[in-house]
Amino acid sequence: MNKEFKQELESIFRDITVNITDDVTPVIAAAKPQILAILRFLKDKGYGHLAMISCVDWLKEAQFELVYLVSAYLKGDNEEPGQEKITILLKTRIDRDNAELPTAIPVFENAEPYEREIHELFGIHFTGHPRLLPLFLEREYKIPPFRKDFDSREYVKEVFDKIPFVEDKE
Amino acid sequence: MDRNQIKKWLESPGKMGHKYSLWAVYFCTGCGIIEIPPVITSRWDAERFGVLPAPSPRQANLFLITGYVSVKTLKAIIKTYEQMPEPKYTVGFGSCPINGGMYWDSYNTIKHLDKYIPIDGWIAGCMPRPEAIFIAVTHLWTLIDKGMAKGYVKYRENYGRYRENQEKALGKLEWPRLFPIKDENE
Amino acid sequence: MRELELYFGPQHMGMVGNFSITLKVEGDRILQAISNPGYLHRGFEKLMEYRTWIQNFPIVCRMNVVEPDSMEMIYAMGVEKLAGLEVPERAHYLRSVYLELARVGSHLFGLWAYSNMLGFDTVAQWAMYHRDLVLDLFEELTGGRVYHIYIWPGGVRRDFPKGFKDKIVSALHSIGGCVPDYNNTFFENRLFYDRAKGIGKISQKEAMELGAAGQVLRATGMKYDIRKIQPYAAYDKVDWEVPIREEGDAYSRILVIRDEMIESVHMIFKLLDVMPEGPVYHRIPNPFKWTIPRGDAYVRIESSRGELGLYLVSDGGDKPYRAHFRTPSYPHGLIILERLLKGASVADVGNIMISLYVVAPEIDR
Repeated sequence: MNKEFKQELESIFRDITVNITDDVTPVIAAAKPQILAILRFLKDKGYGHLAMISCVDWLKEAQFELVYLVSAYLKGDNEEPGQEKITILLKTRIDRDNAELPTAIPVFENAEPYEREIHELFGIHFTGHPRLLPLFLEREYKIPPFRKDFDSREYVKEVFDKIPFVEDKE
Repeated sequence: MDRNQIKKWLESPGKMGHKYSLWAVYFCTGCGIIEIPPVITSRWDAERFGVLPAPSPRQANLFLITGYVSVKTLKAIIKTYEQMPEPKYTVGFGSCPINGGMYWDSYNTIKHLDKYIPIDGWIAGCMPRPEAIFIAVTHLWTLIDKGMAKGYVKYRENYGRYRENQEKALGKLEWPRLFPIKDENE
Repeated sequence: MRELELYFGPQHMGMVGNFSITLKVEGDRILQAISNPGYLHRGFEKLMEYRTWIQNFPIVCRMNVVEPDSMEMIYAMGVEKLAGLEVPERAHYLRSVYLELARVGSHLFGLWAYSNMLGFDTVAQWAMYHRDLVLDLFEELTGGRVYHIYIWPGGVRRDFPKGFKDKIVSALHSIGGCVPDYNNTFFENRLFYDRAKGIGKISQKEAMELGAAGQVLRATGMKYDIRKIQPYAAYDKVDWEVPIREEGDAYSRILVIRDEMIESVHMIFKLLDVMPEGPVYHRIPNPFKWTIPRGDAYVRIESSRGELGLYLVSDGGDKPYRAHFRTPSYPHGLIILERLLKGASVADVGNIMISLYVVAPEIDR
């Protein structure tokens, strides 16, 4: 990722920070409303592979951090050589209380299961998502299990350990 | 076949028949399934012990529960177990069904499988070696011979309490009861 | 004709792994397919937050039972990147040899699953026997048949034992010597050709739209392989080719897997020839007190199923703050499978699913 690309990004989108710590994983931090526009811009620039969407729960700051990892596929004649080595980390922070984001499906079709998973495990709502149905879980949890305030060990003690063994009657 | 066996065959041919032809349910419940293909193919050859996978639970009498059991799988396991005809035997394969194994603090796996369905024997270890399956099978023969592999009878007799445990883990079950539940106070 | 709902799996002969698909069918045609994962969800990434950096090694390798080794590798790489650890030169080669052995074993397992499902029992028996030869090597090296925990941050746990190189060579020769037999009975067999040709066809554009990687993408003609485009371990030290096909159907995917297996065997021979001598690991700090500075890292490798990624976050403590794996089966099993099954025949469900090379525990984690 070169300097020109950084300047181009910063000139188009205001209030974003582009941080190039190493050659392969530049970090873009942006606000929530800009995410879709940046994703579309990156896709047009050749970063057409959404590797995954990840989510980190920063409990102390009362924020969720959504991380979109975008990389590039190979092309016949690469406009920018070495582009396929780069994975861009696009980060945005949202409030824990008002956990809502627009869905990225219009830009990247394969965002669908990732958003479904984050909805289930973190309780973040994606507006415009066609099916936010449960993906993995069978039981219902009061706090979505991947949030930091969900204590898995406490939960096991309360639920599974309290179920009695079935002993033979004498 | 040695001489002692002839007497057994004459006394209870049915028991000897199902003892030596254990048909395992083809159900990959967890990572233990990775050792089943080597066991049923040529190198370890489980057919020496009369064990082969059966295509449907209706034709099977051995249920190898291979590995950790998540809550969603438990539902499938109970359904499959209840479909099997009696007499049926269950063997827990690997550490995880015994007490949760390394997933002892996971919010989505069942810790003690024998709280929900009866288990006739356990194979400990992660991953148990293929030989361990054969040891388990020969042990199961002994248990069947002595009439000690009575998990299915236990299930029938204590069905009320098993069903109660199942509902605690899974919520309301949508399928009908397999056996009538006796009143405990009688 | 009446529309029916058909449950395919988890207890089903055509299903490999604990996975289920709900099909809406009309006669023999599938109108809609809905993947239903979660039978193997253990919440790994949550469990990792409770365990120290080193305690996580036995956990991560259980995420993909068919090929646990690439999971160890990616976690070790993530920890090394966060902590700034260096790996000795010889360890890079040992890692590559070990990962390629695992790839051969994993592809043989895939071959077993595919041929067994299509009814080619002879091939299934061979493939499983040959995979056992690879497992025997792992057993000698680490003591475990399935889970090995050989790769470690800062290198590998131990050097190859004496005479191990010859054992690798002889095991791979006996596998490679049977490739003509495999070709005759399976890959070039007319019966297999008719079953797999044109089934589950996906175009390159669609595969790219849906986030495919690995064999699914390489079978459509793109040389997308992380080992080539972002080399790790010792993959840039030897010369090798990325096998591709153009058609994008089940037949070409399985041929890509075969060619990759052959390429891996050649690569192991080359790596063994040029392997340098030296130490195999750098000491790591006391694992009980080991803390890693605050930061995040994304690493990716090519597992036997495609692009495997790990996003690892540390908050400066002795445990990971968050780990998230990008597993190759995830887009393949959840979106591409649904897309390819639409309009297919019910008899081809298992065929398409296994040709996509989906491993259920990888999806659920």
